[in-house]
Amino acid sequence: MQEAASHNAPDHRIIVPHFVIGGLVILLTTVLLFLHPDALTGHFFNGKLLSLTHLAALGWVTMVIFGALCQLIPVILETPLYSEKFALISLLLLTTGAVLLSLSFWQFNFGILLVTGGLCTLLSTAFLVANLVGTSLKSPKKTLEKKFIITASLWLLFTCFAGLTLAINFTTPFLSQSHLDLLKIHAHAGLVGWFVQLIIGVGSKLLPMFMISHELKTTPLKIAYPAINMGLILALVSEFFAFKMGILTGVIITAAGILSFIFYLIQAYKKRVRKKLDAGMKQSALAFFALLIPVSLILLIFFGENLHTGFVTAYGFLVITGFISSLIMGQTFKTLPFIIWLKEYRGKMGKTKIPLPKDLYSEKSVNLQTWLFTTGFMVVAAAVILQNLTVIQFGTGLMIVALLIYNVNVFKIVFHKNKS
Amino acid sequence: MDTPGSTNEDKIYQLLKGVIDPELMVNIIDLGLVYEILCDEEKKLITVSMTLTSPGCPMGDVIQEDALQLVKKNYDHYEVKINLVWEPAWSPDFMSEEAKKQLG
Repeated sequence: MQEAASHNAPDHRIIVPHFVIGGLVILLTTVLLFLHPDALTGHFFNGKLLSLTHLAALGWVTMVIFGALCQLIPVILETPLYSEKFALISLLLLTTGAVLLSLSFWQFNFGILLVTGGLCTLLSTAFLVANLVGTSLKSPKKTLEKKFIITASLWLLFTCFAGLTLAINFTTPFLSQSHLDLLKIHAHAGLVGWFVQLIIGVGSKLLPMFMISHELKTTPLKIAYPAINMGLILALVSEFFAFKMGILTGVIITAAGILSFIFYLIQAYKKRVRKKLDAGMKQSALAFFALLIPVSLILLIFFGENLHTGFVTAYGFLVITGFISSLIMGQTFKTLPFIIWLKEYRGKMGKTKIPLPKDLYSEKSVNLQTWLFTTGFMVVAAAVILQNLTVIQFGTGLMIVALLIYNVNVFKIVFHKNKS
Repeated sequence: MDTPGSTNEDKIYQLLKGVIDPELMVNIIDLGLVYEILCDEEKKLITVSMTLTSPGCPMGDVIQEDALQLVKKNYDHYEVKINLVWEPAWSPDFMSEEAKKQLG
């Protein structure tokens, strides 16, 4: 029998904690946001917002992505993970880094805590990149997905390096550029270079697979790869040298690349054999529609005059929450149930009554979670622009309920046992 | 796709309807994943040639294991082999009407 995908999957004990920690961290982040809604109404360079952003970006988004990557890379590249030890070290360093960075930003204390947190995160990323590159070198496959994933991980390394440089610059200033400009470079390298590009790499393989879409034209992906990377480099270099025309050109090229990927997804959606989308895929589909809002918002920010910083905050909030978090929440139910199902039921055919992976959680409650979360982040984004604290609390309240449902389902899956 | 010929092959064909793709929740016969079933009575060898909806399918080896175990359990005096093939590449056209209906 030919060696196939799930034989290459790593030990579930390394992967599952990423999902558990991630779920609890995003719940904590949203509760903190509910208690301190002013974090979203002041200038975006404020301690609380920086703290919550790092908590969400590292402790939730990056955490779950690291776990999912270690599970999915062997599937995509059809070879075992290079090192499970590296994955574990990366998890421990990332958790430490997220906690230290968030604490120091919350206290607005740019000292040794901040630099140590930055260093832990950078090291965690270095282990992840080494693991990805090591795994991809073992695989003879040369695919576009592989290019996206490796390039995304290099952008993450750059993001962490830029973040650490910023942290050192806070304590011992040595760069002439303003912190705000450097922060924009750091944030966009992370948001677009790492998150968005990684999602494209993994999504271009898995989403058509989940929908059973065949005979797809890959031209949109071939356009997306150079467009996103060239556009982003142009925009970031121009930002560093304060060259406004270069920033605009870079943003337009990058946006064209992202839209090209969305076009690929629309093609996959139209050609899908599986017409009924399950709960996880519904939330994932909504995430891509939600991405259109911040993409439009950034152009408005660029061309609009006298717009207050709430627009910038709403833009960042929508990318992290509306797009990335929604997608992660949806894809959790396409990944985690299978990990646990394989652990409990692999090889039990005919020996016990076997449920389906989707029976490990409540699909109805995932649907409810999707609508509550979507309504919640739209309300918060609108309230950030309107600078209304009460409405921000109402929106975050809806998100908290959605995240409670999400966590209950995650725990239900993780603690599922084969009763026979 | 070969239509099952001998009695044993026919029985195995029916038996494999009990193997479900855990992601799609449809059995592998209706999905059109099983291309050929050969039962060599002299060698006591059963060979099931099958494919997957796409290479690198996360549930691919689970489906193969389940098919292998189910046939072995019912034909314990036979050697059972699962032969994973990629030619012809699976197409949605291989699915039965029942499978198409189940997938919406």
